[in-house]
Amino acid sequence: MADPAQESADFVSTRHAATIFSRDVKLSPRSPLILYALLIPFLLTVLVQGVFGDLFAPQPRLIIVDDGHSQVSVDAENLEGIAVTFMDDRSDMLDAVESNDADAGLYLPVGFDDAVIAGEQPPLEFYIGGESLASNRIILGVTTLELVRGIEGGEPPVEVEVVQVGEVGTDLDLRMLPMLLMMAVAVAAAFIPAASIVQEKEDRTLSALLVSPASMADVIGAKGAFGVLLALFTGFFTLILNDALLGKAGVHLIILLVAALMMVEFGLLLGMFARDSATMFAAWKGGAILLFFPTVFYIWPNLPQWIAKLGPTYYFIDPAFRVIAEGADLSDVAGTLAIGAVIILALVPVVVLAARRLERTLASG
Amino acid sequence: MSSGSDVTSKSTMVRAIMAKDLKEFSRDRFYVFMSILGLVFYVLIFWLLPSEVDETITVGVVGSEQFDFTEVSGRAESEGLAIVEYETTDELKAAVEEGDTVVVGMAFPTDLSNPTIEVYIGPGVPPSLETAMTGIASEIAYAAAGVPPPVSGFATEEIILGTDRAGSQVSLQEKFKPMLAFMVLIVEVLALAGLVASEIQNRTVKAITVTPAKVSDFLTAKALFGTSLAFVQVVILLVAVRGLDNGPLIMLTAVFLGSVLATGFGLLAGSIGKDFMSVIFWSMLIFIPLLIPAMALLFPGEAATWITFMPSYPLAQVLIDVSAYGAGWSDVAPLLGLLALWGAAALGMGWLILRKRVQTL
Repeated sequence: MADPAQESADFVSTRHAATIFSRDVKLSPRSPLILYALLIPFLLTVLVQGVFGDLFAPQPRLIIVDDGHSQVSVDAENLEGIAVTFMDDRSDMLDAVESNDADAGLYLPVGFDDAVIAGEQPPLEFYIGGESLASNRIILGVTTLELVRGIEGGEPPVEVEVVQVGEVGTDLDLRMLPMLLMMAVAVAAAFIPAASIVQEKEDRTLSALLVSPASMADVIGAKGAFGVLLALFTGFFTLILNDALLGKAGVHLIILLVAALMMVEFGLLLGMFARDSATMFAAWKGGAILLFFPTVFYIWPNLPQWIAKLGPTYYFIDPAFRVIAEGADLSDVAGTLAIGAVIILALVPVVVLAARRLERTLASG
Repeated sequence: MSSGSDVTSKSTMVRAIMAKDLKEFSRDRFYVFMSILGLVFYVLIFWLLPSEVDETITVGVVGSEQFDFTEVSGRAESEGLAIVEYETTDELKAAVEEGDTVVVGMAFPTDLSNPTIEVYIGPGVPPSLETAMTGIASEIAYAAAGVPPPVSGFATEEIILGTDRAGSQVSLQEKFKPMLAFMVLIVEVLALAGLVASEIQNRTVKAITVTPAKVSDFLTAKALFGTSLAFVQVVILLVAVRGLDNGPLIMLTAVFLGSVLATGFGLLAGSIGKDFMSVIFWSMLIFIPLLIPAMALLFPGEAATWITFMPSYPLAQVLIDVSAYGAGWSDVAPLLGLLALWGAAALGMGWLILRKRVQTL
């Protein structure tokens, strides 16, 4: 004869699960964690695009003070890869360069262009910040000289031909996107359901639920469904914020579904095994590295890539990255996604066993 | 006589509460294990970060014998530009594509009747470097043709503003020290806030105050315990990342004051939070803004004025000034004074709010 507790842990009653799900949805506006999950994509996007992009790939910074409406200023506005700022006051520029708010400063006096065209070789007031990198000094110095050559006119004595060798590299913003996406999905699909289960255990509402017609399977099913839906939303929102949908919303939704299902399983397991919030938080703090480490291999592509494949999350991170960075289609990433689906299926019995164990523990008080 | 015994009794109470807290922490082996793992992880991150700043553009060249690079850059090879000679164009292209030794290359014409300089740009080369390389190629050609620069004094009368740190830049590893110290402070204060919240939630604080211990003993114990916990862990971190090599006494003073500051905010978060999850939320809400000064130090330039008004600014600035720039007591005394004021204010605020919370239980 089957154990009733076992049976109740195995089958989800749609009606009961829906009731618990709607209760969680109703309570979610009051939960600071839901707010946290919703804010994460936005905050991380701002952080990555506005802050870390500059940290790992800083642009040389040049300040120009132009008293003579020089052509140099006009051409400098179109410089690629150099952060050019214009100031009105020469002493402000000197202060900014000295305090390392810029790598170099250029002062263009009245009549500078005319003097260059007349071949008078006017002095170039070019100031270098002491803390600027030697490489940036060369880049800014040579670039400034080329801008002045532009005023002078005339053809250079040789032709310079630029040849791109190898594949064009991927921008850092794009390489950091897997980490961003992972964070958005992990918090929504894993952390929120785990925290919700632990909270219910601590408040003893889980025990109260189980004396109602609802079973453990209903509770777990409802928490899981809530996590999956939230993760689909936060993941999709992250892609939109980073302009990464590229007209492939359908493919992204399939990848996000795999991601959300896998992460929700990890979250449910964490919530069911952690005895209190402190333990859950500590486990999250340490265990998250096992889920997040594949994302590091996209930020530093020179690392041995096979290591990334050891992480289960690789099997949705890699498809997402290939679709975003390489324009891959579903057929290109189907194999990798299938492995992700196998991992999800393999985790189902583990989740069921954990639910049975939790139900037994609660029943025994 | 009686005041002396009062002090002894008070200190016994405080010690007893601290011992209870310590036992509670150490009993949770999993939590202790994860805290140690976190510390190891921070140390690992530190040692994985670049310890040097690569300031040099390494350019691969073919057939450059008749051209002079220093004519263009005005610098010796050690000052930002390094040249690697290749025998053939194919070798150079392969090296640029591989990107290990050189990421850009220049092939100079051997036949001057067809004067074209090919500039090879490897994967991931920033646009600014591409622009500079084409500029360098042109300038080399101008110099070889005897065409003078359009301006005078360029590359010969270089004006450097501020201390010239070319060749001795502060590495990302060094800049990360304050950030890592803050991370440890945050985690430890989260733990303190969680402890305070659980004592309020379980009303053990009420139980403590029906013993001879007073609310002030409870608060003193929490403040001392939080400060010690944070201080010890940050010191362990600093030892592991060689953060005490310069000005160890100043660093320890700053970290102690920083621990007081963090404890004050920890008591505050613990008083506001109703349960562990809301404690995490409130702690994050308080501590993420406090991370901003440490983050600002990762970037070049002076911190914006509003950042200097943040309570954590003096701590971050002292840590970087002493560990990276070798600042002494007189250099950082005003910052330490400011940090002490902020620490006292935070602790006072946390103390008052927690006392009010305990009294209303």
